[in-house]
Amino acid sequence: MRITRSNAMILLFSITAILSVIAVFPAISEAQSEPKTFVTHSGAVVKTTGEVLDPLYTSATVEFDPMEYLRDFNYGRVLQLSDGTTVREFTIIANDDEIMEVSPGIFFNVWTFNGTVPGPTIRATEGDIVRIKFINNGEKEHTMHFHGIHPAGMDGVFEPVGGNGGQFVYEFEAGPVGVHPYHCHVMPLEEHIVRGLYGVFIVDPKEERPPADEMVMVLNGLDMDFDGENNFYAANTIPFYYQHHPIQINTDELVRVYVVNMVEFDPINNLHLHGNLYKYYPTGTDLVPSFYTDMITLSQTERGIMEFEYDYPGKYLFHAHKVEFSEKGWVGIFLVNDKPTNDEQEIEYGT
Amino acid sequence: MELSDNSSKGKVIASGIIPFVFVIIMMAYIFGPGADLLDLGIPLPEITMEKVDFVDSEIRVTVRNTGPIPVEVAMADVNDRIQPAAVEPDRYLDRYETALVRIPFEWNEAEPYIIGITIEDGTRFEKEIEAAAPALQPTLDLAVFFAIIGTYVGIIPVMIGLLWLPFIKRISKSKYHFFLALTAGLLLFLALDSIEEAIEVSDESLSGSFNGALLVATVIVLSFLGLYYSGEKLVERANSSKLAKPVAIALMISIGIGLHNFGEGLAIGAAVGMGSIAFSTFLIVGFALHNTTEGIAIAAPMSRGKLMIGKLAAMGMIAGAPAIFGAWIGGFVYSPFTSVIFLSIGAGAIFQVIVVLMKWLREEGDKNLSSASVASGFAVGMLVMYLTSILV
Repeated sequence: MRITRSNAMILLFSITAILSVIAVFPAISEAQSEPKTFVTHSGAVVKTTGEVLDPLYTSATVEFDPMEYLRDFNYGRVLQLSDGTTVREFTIIANDDEIMEVSPGIFFNVWTFNGTVPGPTIRATEGDIVRIKFINNGEKEHTMHFHGIHPAGMDGVFEPVGGNGGQFVYEFEAGPVGVHPYHCHVMPLEEHIVRGLYGVFIVDPKEERPPADEMVMVLNGLDMDFDGENNFYAANTIPFYYQHHPIQINTDELVRVYVVNMVEFDPINNLHLHGNLYKYYPTGTDLVPSFYTDMITLSQTERGIMEFEYDYPGKYLFHAHKVEFSEKGWVGIFLVNDKPTNDEQEIEYGT
Repeated sequence: MELSDNSSKGKVIASGIIPFVFVIIMMAYIFGPGADLLDLGIPLPEITMEKVDFVDSEIRVTVRNTGPIPVEVAMADVNDRIQPAAVEPDRYLDRYETALVRIPFEWNEAEPYIIGITIEDGTRFEKEIEAAAPALQPTLDLAVFFAIIGTYVGIIPVMIGLLWLPFIKRISKSKYHFFLALTAGLLLFLALDSIEEAIEVSDESLSGSFNGALLVATVIVLSFLGLYYSGEKLVERANSSKLAKPVAIALMISIGIGLHNFGEGLAIGAAVGMGSIAFSTFLIVGFALHNTTEGIAIAAPMSRGKLMIGKLAAMGMIAGAPAIFGAWIGGFVYSPFTSVIFLSIGAGAIFQVIVVLMKWLREEGDKNLSSASVASGFAVGMLVMYLTSILV
């Protein structure tokens, strides 16, 4: 079909007309970009034509997934010695050039074991041989220093492992029973820790603990501007993550949390659980709980095991009761679901 | 002949252009292939929070990228506690671009707050607010309030000062010179006062990249030159028309003082707006006393002509009324940048007036600027201003 002159004129005219309408009424073109909304800490809903600056992580953009880390236990490659002893082999690679989006739009150079902060949770049974092939792909020297009982040469202090591929094999018998941190022990120590070179080492008793929904929480902080004060606090690195992505648990099911406090700069941290109390096993070394409480105070690398069960379904906060920390990200929610098998009559509480 | 003329003209043009060509080549090289050579050091991002408004359940922060590189606004906090917020129009800020960060927050009046903005690399910038005060809404009541304040600190004192005119008229020539010099002293003080204020505002609210002190200096010189040129034209015309020279000088003085009072009004309006001063009657009295001397500055040159009450009153208005406009602008649409600019323009205008005054004094006083009356007048002018400034 031939485009006639009059057709072209009409086309031209209508384009001009549309453009001028858009130019004259910019509201029309703006109306196409719908205002976004967000909810404030106090529950108010605010509309904006711009962008939302809310430190919540949508799972679409998360680099490090705290939900995956939460229940991820690494038992290693298992070998049996002739005498029946179990050997668990792990490969841990250190790096110090990773840039991680630690909160929406905020990027930080973290130092990592196996690419994450915290590093992988290493788990063994008391008496197992733990063999860790440590490779340092960073630029600086790094080591792995485990809390626990081991020979001096396996302590990861006096044997710095050079960067760019330096290697070392840490081998020791797992013990004592409990939950322990591991971290880099190269000077300046504070920097090597706060940058993210730490993780959790769990030693299970030979006679297993009762089955439970188990999870690991490393309480940590990030000093983004290097002024010796944390700008963010969190359980498992990402501020506010579990607040916006609640941890799902069930009523009448035992929950066991391995908690390790790796916060630097601030002398203490703590953990308060809502709507419940927990049995607390300091360092997890004893099989009998020391406390029944909803609040524990933890100093640097202080750790323990919490056990609790919820009777009532719903949303329960857990957070630092040093509320400055919780307002900077160390806050989360347990979403307690009614166990499907639970045939008790449902009663509505609250409102 | 014509040919060689043309070619020499071409040479002139060429020799004028060639350096520019080299400048362009150098720039192109530095930004292009030579960029690596200069890639030393790490550019540090910088943002400046120019304005913080407290509105209903919300804190609004105007942020400007004043660093050498683009930044992204990533997070907002109040008193170092992270708050969900919004940034409009968007989080990306090029050099000198501004954005509005809206932080929903139930703030309390008169309490101090520290507002923090974190950018994408984790650097946090903060701004301290001494006392939160609701952002001023341009209501009629408030406009009237500012007009009253402006009248008290601007118009009334200047008018009172003008009442010295009959006195100055009757005194001897040397005493008259004393008063003219006194005027110059008063004005010099006002100029210095404006400069101090301008530098203070730029230090507080403008980032270093504006080169505050140099910005002030540049604007002063430009304003001085502009007014000096147009002032000379005015005096020239005054000589050939019925507008007497004293009137022309008095008019220039009123314009200079008017610009200064505009700056002063801006400062007062902004201070009320930011809640950083409580308007006591004492402060108003201080400003009033201080500004009464400005009336003398206008009256002194006028005293040698015919008594022209209408003109005098008009000049009083020119000098005093800008305080009202300044207060309105400062209170309702404050921006530190315009404040610095107007204070500097005022200072330049006053310097111009001083030069004109001194010239006139020299002509009047038989080419002598070092007479006892001139020296003492100048000194007393400065002293009076200093002493009354203590009240403010």
